[in-house]
Amino acid sequence: MTGDVGVLASNGCHIFNGCGFPAPGLQNFEWKPIFSIGSFHFTKPMLLAILAALVVIVFFWAAFRKPQLVPRGVQNLGELAILAVRDQILRPSLGRRGDSYLPFLVSLFFFIYVMNVFELIPILQFPVPSRIGFVWPLVFIVYFLYLYLGFKNQGIWGYFKSMIPPGVPAPIYVILVPVELLRFFVFQPFTLGVRLFGNMFAGHLLLTIFTVATWYLLSLSVGLLYAAGSFALAIFVFLLETLVTLLQAFIFTTLTATYIASSVEPVH
Amino acid sequence: MSDHGDDAVTRTREKAQQQAAARGRAQGLEVGWTVFSYLLAGMAAYGGIGWLIGRAVHVPLLFPLGMLVGLGISIGYIIHRFGRQQAVERAPGPRKEITGDR
Repeated sequence: MTGDVGVLASNGCHIFNGCGFPAPGLQNFEWKPIFSIGSFHFTKPMLLAILAALVVIVFFWAAFRKPQLVPRGVQNLGELAILAVRDQILRPSLGRRGDSYLPFLVSLFFFIYVMNVFELIPILQFPVPSRIGFVWPLVFIVYFLYLYLGFKNQGIWGYFKSMIPPGVPAPIYVILVPVELLRFFVFQPFTLGVRLFGNMFAGHLLLTIFTVATWYLLSLSVGLLYAAGSFALAIFVFLLETLVTLLQAFIFTTLTATYIASSVEPVH
Repeated sequence: MSDHGDDAVTRTREKAQQQAAARGRAQGLEVGWTVFSYLLAGMAAYGGIGWLIGRAVHVPLLFPLGMLVGLGISIGYIIHRFGRQQAVERAPGPRKEITGDR
């Protein structure tokens, strides 16, 4: 990774030093391989994705390996986490009949949340979904799940028919078919993925810009004032990101639940 | 009614309110992103059709024209579909179960 705070610090690049602002950009999302096997390069985002999966697995394993009737310790936290997903995400869309999807939605929510929250943890400080390659597999899992459930529960023709609600006049039906097909098969999964990626990408870029700018502006001059302003903004963006990381995991999982709900049962 | 009974009623009411709020959030998210997808899909679908026809008849203007037509269709459909849903929700009398749209 180039152009980061470490490089800046080692170069002593500050305002009025004759050094231009090393603006963060796409280079902040590209990583040197930790190791390579042939043409396969293992990078930091991959390591973080594996770490996120391990965090989720270990947490829930620790919480429920010996479940007690009266929960204590980690089990308390685990139950709280599961109930939060059930009551705030699953039940509002799927009702009680959707409880069989709870393990999937809990795993999805916490996997995405932990990957997002890595952005705010020093040393890790990178949100995995800001590399879109990590988002598409999640989108494809959701996409194929709701397509499968739709075809299974409503039949191929019934599922296609349910895309346009009843009550639409026949000529309008014909006009709407290309819009509905494109929306359903392309833009629905596309927006699901791009929203998560875009938010995490933008958040990381903003954090990097204000952190690098704080260091760059830091000097014994009026720059100190600018640096203070930039630092305040960095803190503000950091606080905002604590909310965004949670919100994006919530939105992704909630939309997944609503897509599953509309596949399981046609909407009228 | 005893204090214990009052507490139970309050808790039940709070839980029902929380559930209604969660349902509202889920529906709001769903409708919001569905509307956004419609706008994109309308432009892409009819922009694409316009581009194909424009390519065949050598009238490049059909591409942006198709996009505009698609946008118009999407907006009209959004108003028809979601405007009506809100009207039903606000209508007086026995409430219908609105499950939202896709």
